[in-house]
Amino acid sequence: MRGRHLRLSFGVLKAALAAALAATKDAQPISVGGGRFSTSAARSAPPPVSAPHPSFSSFRFSRSGVSLCKRLPVLLLVCALAMSGFGCKTPGSSEEPPSDNKGPFKIGAVLSLTGTYAPLGESAKKAIDLEVGRINAQGGVNGREIQVLIEDDGTDEAKSLAAASRLIDREEVLAIIGASGTGQSMSMRSELNRAGVAQISLAGGTVITDDFDSLVFQTPWSNTLVVPYILDAMVARNVSKVALLSDSGGYGKDGRAVILQEAPKLGLEIVSDQTFNPGDTDMSTQLTKVRSSDADAILLWNAGKEAAIIVRNATDLGLNLPMFGGSGQARLEFIEGAGEAGNGFVFATGRSLVPDNWEKGSAQHEAVSKFAEEYKAKYGEPPDIFAGHAFDAMAIVVAALERTEGMPTPAELRDAIEQTSGIPGFGGTFTFSANDHNGLGKKDVALYVVRDGKWETAE
Amino acid sequence: MSELLQFLIAGVKNGAIYALVALGFTVVFASTGAINFAQGEFFMLGGVLGVFFLRLGLPLPAAVLAAVLATAIIGGAFEALAIRPLSAGDPLKIIIVTIGGSVALRQFALHIFGPNEMIIAPFSSGPPIRFAGAAVERQTLWIWGLTLVTVACLAIVYQKTMLGKAMQATSLSHDGARLMGIDTKKMVTVAFVLSAALGAVAGLAVTPLTQTAFDVGAGIGVKGFTAAILGGLGNPLATVCGGIVLGLLESLAAGYFDPLYKDAVALVVLLGVLFVRPSGLAGLMRRGRG
Repeated sequence: MRGRHLRLSFGVLKAALAAALAATKDAQPISVGGGRFSTSAARSAPPPVSAPHPSFSSFRFSRSGVSLCKRLPVLLLVCALAMSGFGCKTPGSSEEPPSDNKGPFKIGAVLSLTGTYAPLGESAKKAIDLEVGRINAQGGVNGREIQVLIEDDGTDEAKSLAAASRLIDREEVLAIIGASGTGQSMSMRSELNRAGVAQISLAGGTVITDDFDSLVFQTPWSNTLVVPYILDAMVARNVSKVALLSDSGGYGKDGRAVILQEAPKLGLEIVSDQTFNPGDTDMSTQLTKVRSSDADAILLWNAGKEAAIIVRNATDLGLNLPMFGGSGQARLEFIEGAGEAGNGFVFATGRSLVPDNWEKGSAQHEAVSKFAEEYKAKYGEPPDIFAGHAFDAMAIVVAALERTEGMPTPAELRDAIEQTSGIPGFGGTFTFSANDHNGLGKKDVALYVVRDGKWETAE
Repeated sequence: MSELLQFLIAGVKNGAIYALVALGFTVVFASTGAINFAQGEFFMLGGVLGVFFLRLGLPLPAAVLAAVLATAIIGGAFEALAIRPLSAGDPLKIIIVTIGGSVALRQFALHIFGPNEMIIAPFSSGPPIRFAGAAVERQTLWIWGLTLVTVACLAIVYQKTMLGKAMQATSLSHDGARLMGIDTKKMVTVAFVLSAALGAVAGLAVTPLTQTAFDVGAGIGVKGFTAAILGGLGNPLATVCGGIVLGLLESLAAGYFDPLYKDAVALVVLLGVLFVRPSGLAGLMRRGRG
C-alpha cells in the first residue's frame, strides 16, 4: 500500500513540475526586482544597475518589493487554484465492467486521509483494508470478490462531494462508506439523492440521521446519544455552570447545538460559549475568557487535534476546572498530546472502547475482541473507535450484500441495508428500521476517565 | 486588565513564530526575488523531524540540532534539485516550483511519519510563570529567546561576515555580484538553507505547545507570508515587527471580536497592506527616518 502511495507522491511531484514548466514556457518576462530576472528575450537589454533592490541589512525599503506586491493578488489566486487541484488520489481503476456477471461488488469509500481528520480517515482505511482482505481470502460474498474504492476528501466538503460523484458516475459503486467528518458526510447528499446510492457515514454528527434521508445510515454513536450521557455525568459530579468550547467544523457545530438544547433540561447553565476553528493552534484567548467567567467545568466538543492543545492551554493558564468531552477524545494521540494536563479528563463514547466492558462470551464481546485482535496482528496497534466505525460499516454492507441475489442495484442494496437487524459490531448491536438509521442506544455508550496516559472505564 | 495582558502575551507568542517564518520568506526573496511557498513545510519538517530524532533516542538538544540541520539540508537539496535547474531565474517559475515542492514535501511527510499529531515535551519543565494575573508558559520564553537569538545571529551574519556581505551583494544586483566574483548560484542555495533552518527553529519551538503533524505547514505559511508582506519584504527588523503586529492583531481580534474570524484578520491585513501600502512597515520606518 505504501508503495502505491509513494508512486502517487511522485506523480504529484511530476505533475507539479510539469505544470510549472508549462505555465512558464510562454510566460512574459516579469520584472520583479528591477528587471534583474527576465527571460532570455529581455536579457539583451542591460539591467538597470541603479534601480533600488531589496536590501536585507540596510533598513531601506526597496521599490522592487512593490512590483511583486502588485502582482501578488493574481499570484495568490493562481496558487489557490493550483493547490486545490492537488491532494486527490485516484483509486485503482476497475478492470471489469459492472455488467459482467462475475464482476466484484464495488463499494465506494470517501475518507479524510489528509487534512484535519487524517487520523480518523487513516484508521478507517486500515479497518476497511483489513476487512476486504479477510472477506476476499474467505471466498468473497456470494462467490464474488468485494472491492472497496477509497477516495480522499482532504477533510474538505467540496472534495467529498466531488469524490462521491466520481465514485457514482465513473466507478458505478453500489453504496458509499463515509465520509469521516460530519460536514463532509452531509455535503455529498445531493449526489446520493441524484443517483439513489446509499451512504453509511462514519461521522458522529446528529444531523446525519436527524436530518433524515432514506439513503443515509450512520455507524458511530451520534451526538444526541453521547451528549446527554456526558451531561448526566457532569450533573452527577456537581457541575452547574459550564464553559463550552466547540470547533466551528461540522462535528463541533452539531455537538454545540445538541448541548445548548439539552443542558438546560438537566439544570446546567452554559456560562461561557467559546468557539474555535479546526486547525487553530492556540486557544488561550478563549480560555482567558472562560477564566473570567464563573464556570465550574469545561465541556469540550471537538473531533480533531485541537482538544489536546485546549487541555494544555487551560492548565497553563491556571484553570483548574474539571474537563469533559466526547468521542473525539477517544484517541491515544489526544492523551499523549495532553500529557499530564489530561489526567482526570472525563469523556463519553462507545462501550467497545474497552472490549471487556461487554460481558465475556456475549456476541458483542466476541465481535469486538476478534476485530481488535486481527487489527492488532496486522498493524501492531489496537484499533481506535474510527477504525471500529469503518469495521461496522463493512459488516453492515457485507451482510446486506449476502441478503441480495446476483448483482444488486444500488436501490436493492439500500433496501437490504435498511433490513439490518441484530448485527453485533463495534458500535453496538445494529438494528435499522425505516425511521432509525443509526440503531444504537444508551446501552452502547460508556464513560471513561484518563489516568496516567490511559483511559479506564468510569462510573 | 489581566485579560488584556493575557491576550497580549498570546499575541506576542504567536507573533514571534510568525516573525521567524516571515524571515525565511524575506531571506529567499532577497536573493531570488521570489516567494518560497514551501516555507511553511520547512516549519512542519522542523517539528516532525524533531519528534523523529527524539523517538530515535537522541537527547533534546541533539534532536533539536539534528532536526534543524536535516531541514536545512532538505532546503538546500530542494534548491539544488528543483530551483537551480530553472537557470533563467524567473521568479514566477521559482514561485510555481516552490508550490509544487510544498505539496511534495507534505505528501512525503504524510507517508513517512503518518497522519497523526505528535508532540515534544517542553524544553524546560515547570509550572507557568504568573504575574499580574496572567500566565506565561515556560515554552513561550523559549520561543521569545530563540527568536531573539536567531534574529541577532542573522543580523551578525549579514553585516559582519563575508558570506553575509556576498548575499547582500547578490540581493542588490545579481549581475553586479557575479562580476565581482561572487558565486550567485551558491548564494541562492545558502538562502534556501538559511530559510529552511529558520522555519525549522520556529517549528521546533512551538511543537511543545501546539503539537505538530504533516499538515501544519500550509496555515503557518499564510501567516508568515502575511507578516513578511506587512513588514515590507526585504527588511529583517520590519519583518519581525510585522510578525508581532500580526500576532497581536489576531489575538486581540479573537479576544474582543470573535475567535472564528482570527484567520480572516490575517487575510484582511494582507489584502489591506497590498492595496493601501505595498511598502509595508518598512515604508513607514523609512518615512519616520526622513
